[in-house]
Amino acid sequence: MIRPVLVRREVPVRGGQPLAFAVGLLVALLLGAVLLLVAGDSPMEVYRRMLSASFGDLEAFSVTLNRAIPLALAGLAVAIAATMGLWNIGAEGQILFGATTAAGIAQIGEGWSGPVLILAMIVGGSIGGALWALGPAAAKAYIGVNEIITTLMLNEIAIRLIRYLINGPWKDPEGYGFVQAPALPEQSFLPNLFQRTHVGLLIAIAVLAVIGLMVSRSSWGYELRVAGSSGATATYAGISLKRKILTVLVLSGTVAGLAGGIELTGNATRLTETVSNGYGFAGIIVAALALMRPSGVAAVAVLFGAVQVGGQSIKAIGVSDAVSTVLQALILFGVIAAGVLIVYRIEMAEPAGHKARSTSRVRSA
Amino acid sequence: MKSTKSTKALLRLLALLMAFVMIAAACGDDDGDDGSADDGDSAVTDDAGNDMADDDMVDEGMDEDDMAEDDMAEDDMAEDDMAEDDMADDFSAAFLYISPIGEAGWTWAHDQGRLHAEEATGIPTFFVDSVNDGSPADIEAAIRTLVADGHDVIIGTSFGYMDTMEAMAAEFPDVVFEHVSGYKANETNFGNTFGKIYQPRYLTGMIAGAATETNQIGYVAAFPIPEVARGINAFTLGAQRVNPDVEVVVQWTSTWFDPAIEGDAADALLEGGADVIAMHQDTTSAGLAAEAAGARWVSYNSDMSEFAPDAYLASAIWNWGPRYAEIISSAADGSYVPGFYWGGYEDGIVDIGSIAADVDADIVAQVEDIRQQMIDGTFAVFSGPLFAQDGTQLLAEGEVMDPGMLLGEAFFVQGVVGDIG
Repeated sequence: MIRPVLVRREVPVRGGQPLAFAVGLLVALLLGAVLLLVAGDSPMEVYRRMLSASFGDLEAFSVTLNRAIPLALAGLAVAIAATMGLWNIGAEGQILFGATTAAGIAQIGEGWSGPVLILAMIVGGSIGGALWALGPAAAKAYIGVNEIITTLMLNEIAIRLIRYLINGPWKDPEGYGFVQAPALPEQSFLPNLFQRTHVGLLIAIAVLAVIGLMVSRSSWGYELRVAGSSGATATYAGISLKRKILTVLVLSGTVAGLAGGIELTGNATRLTETVSNGYGFAGIIVAALALMRPSGVAAVAVLFGAVQVGGQSIKAIGVSDAVSTVLQALILFGVIAAGVLIVYRIEMAEPAGHKARSTSRVRSA
Repeated sequence: MKSTKSTKALLRLLALLMAFVMIAAACGDDDGDDGSADDGDSAVTDDAGNDMADDDMVDEGMDEDDMAEDDMAEDDMAEDDMAEDDMADDFSAAFLYISPIGEAGWTWAHDQGRLHAEEATGIPTFFVDSVNDGSPADIEAAIRTLVADGHDVIIGTSFGYMDTMEAMAAEFPDVVFEHVSGYKANETNFGNTFGKIYQPRYLTGMIAGAATETNQIGYVAAFPIPEVARGINAFTLGAQRVNPDVEVVVQWTSTWFDPAIEGDAADALLEGGADVIAMHQDTTSAGLAAEAAGARWVSYNSDMSEFAPDAYLASAIWNWGPRYAEIISSAADGSYVPGFYWGGYEDGIVDIGSIAADVDADIVAQVEDIRQQMIDGTFAVFSGPLFAQDGTQLLAEGEVMDPGMLLGEAFFVQGVVGDIG
């Protein structure tokens, strides 16, 4: 019996990325149109609205960029770890603890001037993220504890920590008994660059550029990739795996924590347990869409932000939340699937034996 | 190199699978079901006490003639190329909900209010559901979309929308913003609405107090804030009115909307000896737990009798419609004045739902009698002699609790078992 299998291409399709992107998007939109028709909505109207809400004018675009900032940083955090074959599933928790640290600094520095306070909060957020990743990093480096599990579990702990703080020591004294953190001081709000895009955009671009170059161009980055491919080779080449694991995971946490600090100063009015808004998990998808390359994260984050903003906007014209959610997932999945086809091709393969080598590391479609 | 490639391929495969799973997770998070407070406390400011008394609502006398022309809508629509629907000249209102509407509960009750207002005023209404109230970015994006669509009134029905609505009200001075269950307002276009749900809770307490055989009633409660405490206290006083030996045991859940946790809390109370369950939660879970255990149940937000027909006794329900009609029509004719609305039985914003058929006719008659006194404004739930949980006297004979104490109620009355944090 002949069945289709995915075979890795010797060379990825040249210039295939934009093509795959377009095809994937088109297929997703067609599937989505079927879904919308079944649900009783007009596909043309829905798509036009999604586009106009995310890219329609400068204000719409600024809202999309606002959302792309934490998505890009979370995606970068995941991609850095993945460069070395490590999985940081805990960006969500690192964002939350970063935001928590920043909120703590805001309480101490209530009287500080804006720039000083904002800088302290953003740096503090990064340090918070680093600290939140330190435990899993050390456990992985020195005793080989699976970082997927530890980083994942720390997400829940970060939520509980915030819940404890806003129920107890940080409970808003001016909140009339409500369970909430105190309002952030006015001067801690990150200024806007244009419309609703705040200065965090510049920080995100700078961090993406620096870390992107570090990974792709520096000897440090090269060592990372070697270590990610083969620990034995790396050790033979004199690279300290322990130290690499430690620094990479902590750097990953730092970037996620930075997202937390920026989100708190850029969008929040007070610390909440959902201030991370799922960006840490979405970052895993962003990184996967960018094929784990820091360089691709920015573009994907903008797309992802646009899909989320557009998906939200259509609810106001009567599209149900469920349909909107499935539509968002379809678009992202369409682009992911198309991305795979740049790197793999579909081949009709004979069963066992024949072509065993090429099918050994692929899956049947 | 061979192992490099296969590892990477494996990684990529894993990444894709992961991505698929995580899409669901990430999008699910947007729903904010697990989120923080949604139907919290009522209006509380220094002058809230004054406002609530004279803020009667009159929804009959509105004027629909003036609502057609709204100069702002034009401006907003100008930069909005997507909605060339004929909205530009029409007055319209939009609602922000924290969860899907569903078939019962907090959001459902608000949506019933929306539908009522639409019918009463003839002004079209829209809604956006599942807006995470812990994420200002989400709230802001939703509000900006609604303003760009040319809506003239935006009503947010979850506590966590408060700060963002305040900021948006400042940015869009020609749109009326009304927030439900918060404590902020401005002078021009940002008001707050809530109601005295503790009044019908007192009545449901009477029914529950008469129904319990173990003299222990379990109360599944969200957060230790004044609004919830006030409900628990009123419920307890009502129960004590017909059954002086009754105890009300409180179990905190730290969530407004979590079916699993609410059900577990009810189970724990039932195992502890309670045979009637009351709740300050948004789902029907506590009722299902009571139904399964053969116990009785008092629901909240809306009449939930169909979900646990054997357990159901009565319910304390919201009737938002008249208030929403008042807000929308006054905004349309330009007479809207923001403030702290805190309506009660006399305004019709709260009521008791259906009463189970097997409730003693004498109790039903007593409930009906007190209900009428509440409608007439002659019955005060919190009046002396009133004792705190630890036995200290709060109000002397003949005294009525002043609004300030009522609004900041961070204590339990005698007969409540549990800590208020």
